[in-house]
Amino acid sequence: MAFEDEVGVLLGAQGLEGMIHGVSGELYVRVEEEGFREALERLSGGRLILIDLFCAEGFGGRGGFTLFYVFEKRGERKVLVLERQASGEATSSIADLFPTACWYERQIHDGFGLVFEGAFDMRRLFLHEVYPEGFHPLLKSFKNKKFGYGADATQMEEYRFKEVKGDEVYQIPVGPVHAGIIEPGHFRFSVIGETIFNLEVRMFYKHRGVEKLAEGKNPMDCVKIAESISGDETVANSVCFCNAVERISSLDVPSRAWHIRTVYLELERIYSHLSDMAGMVLDVAYPAGSSQFYILREEFFRLNESLTGSRFMRGAVTVGGVGKDMEHANVKAVEDHLRGFSKRFEDAVESVESTTSVVDRLERSGVIRRELVEPLNLTGPVARASGAAIDTRADHPYGAYKAVTARTMEAGDVMARFQVKAAEIRDSSAIIHMMLRELPGGDFAVEPNIRDGYALSMVESARGQNMHWVSIRDGVVDRYRVRAASFCNWQAIEHAVLGNIVPDFPLINKSLNLSYAGTDL
Amino acid sequence: MTNAILNILKPVVTEDVRFTDEEFESLGFKLKERVDKVFARSLQIRELDSGSDNSAEIELVNLTAPHYDVERFGVSFVASPRHADVLLVTGAVTLNMEVAVRKTYDAMPSPKFVVAVGDDACFGGVFKDSYAVAGGVDKVLPVDLKIPGNPPTPKEILRGLLALMERIGKQ
Repeated sequence: MAFEDEVGVLLGAQGLEGMIHGVSGELYVRVEEEGFREALERLSGGRLILIDLFCAEGFGGRGGFTLFYVFEKRGERKVLVLERQASGEATSSIADLFPTACWYERQIHDGFGLVFEGAFDMRRLFLHEVYPEGFHPLLKSFKNKKFGYGADATQMEEYRFKEVKGDEVYQIPVGPVHAGIIEPGHFRFSVIGETIFNLEVRMFYKHRGVEKLAEGKNPMDCVKIAESISGDETVANSVCFCNAVERISSLDVPSRAWHIRTVYLELERIYSHLSDMAGMVLDVAYPAGSSQFYILREEFFRLNESLTGSRFMRGAVTVGGVGKDMEHANVKAVEDHLRGFSKRFEDAVESVESTTSVVDRLERSGVIRRELVEPLNLTGPVARASGAAIDTRADHPYGAYKAVTARTMEAGDVMARFQVKAAEIRDSSAIIHMMLRELPGGDFAVEPNIRDGYALSMVESARGQNMHWVSIRDGVVDRYRVRAASFCNWQAIEHAVLGNIVPDFPLINKSLNLSYAGTDL
Repeated sequence: MTNAILNILKPVVTEDVRFTDEEFESLGFKLKERVDKVFARSLQIRELDSGSDNSAEIELVNLTAPHYDVERFGVSFVASPRHADVLLVTGAVTLNMEVAVRKTYDAMPSPKFVVAVGDDACFGGVFKDSYAVAGGVDKVLPVDLKIPGNPPTPKEILRGLLALMERIGKQ
């Protein structure tokens, strides 16, 4: 059955009338309040996965709020987007049907002030205590500007963490400032002895107002904002944003540009994975092993700089193509680099896998069960290491990708994540070789003539699926929605640490490689 | 026991990786000279992320990785602000982090110095007009030195530390 028909059956009376095919192949269906709940129950039973939920104000000239529920079905290229008008200032929650909706609904409440009735958790999410009551930055009535109030700790009300009570249960609060060179976030452990009984994470300390910042700006000026979502996802996010704008504007991005972008995307994946592998090994006190990965990573940073002028490949991707062409000398430089890299990388992996004291720590630590992948919408290497064969490059192909195979392992532990990343580095290297071998001639960019419209765009970053939704009105960005892979995968850590000991937390955290900046926006 | 003695006599067994960067090395040894004088051989740095995009952290970690290895020059990153001479702050200061930033600074013993690393930390960068940030680090703490860049490279950060040492040395 075609996906359209299947959706029609699941939505029942809501029917197919008014189904709009989006420019990225997404299906937009407007749903009415009547029968909404029943339709969502059927979607939940029909094994559709909620991959995003966001809000826009005044969308399509309509007044009030439009909620967008984005669903994916495994094996289906198209995604389903339900459009629901929120009547007034309250609407109903779906967090009991789709647990991932909890964070999204709290996010929408902070942004727009919309209340979700029946939600089991209505605490603030990205607006911490310093923000006054009734402040909702994503409302169109709020013009982005600085606030006068300084932080006054005495004015703050306490954020209630889940309390675990019982004999010998005690709490360990950690953060937001941690002991290493890492990003800020708060972890509240409830432990019995050394064993973790419960973990609650509180994020969004780094909330910088990314989505609001893009509003009213020319899309070309927003590439910089996309690059700043998460430093080590610079290329993934700039490609994701540019792809959305290009689809809206029906720009025919040259094949040569897509090949070069793919090289950058895969270089980014390689250096990011090398960093995780180094970190995992370092966190079990094997610096001789981790140094090898750090050395290889630094060499990639230098290669990035020689190709694009930036170690993080900033400014490399533009709306319409890439910032500069890939000259023949650079093609050769990349190929030579990868050839030299391959053997040393295998030696480094071998040194880790043959060191029993390291393997002993990596195996059976931080297990994420396969059953959690869909309900929590886990993505990227985290999901693949738990046996889910999903990869945006294969499931929703974009650009120059073809025939990408999702690398999976079954164990779901730290070791599995280590090995999935190693396998993906090999694949990335092969993809880059292929892109350079098949590099077509022609232009590396087209003139970016911007049109109005909206589109969804998905890119597989090193951490998993990143999704951007861009709406352009009168030539400027009207709404920029970002959902990074880490936003999803943070949900996994609360499960992965259960039954593990506190000293293994840094290791498990590193193996999940979560971006705080990408989540907090 | 015999083995231990023999090990001393053995040649170095680590891999010979050649990646010396002459400029970085000479900067590093100049820095070491200064650190020896100004901070009695040991400069302890606490890194604080006040809202960066994580790229500056990556470059700071790189400073401790094999290519750069700043511990050779008497510079080390410490786990607690109570052990730190210098606070390296990355990122524009978000409103959600402002209290933690002040508390971290307050926890440091005097004399203490603050360095802003990266455009965001120097003046707010791309986020300077956002409702969610207070601005650059100097809006919240007294900043002694700014190292601009998006993000600055390890070499630029090292050059900044050298400038800081020279400035403190003159005081």
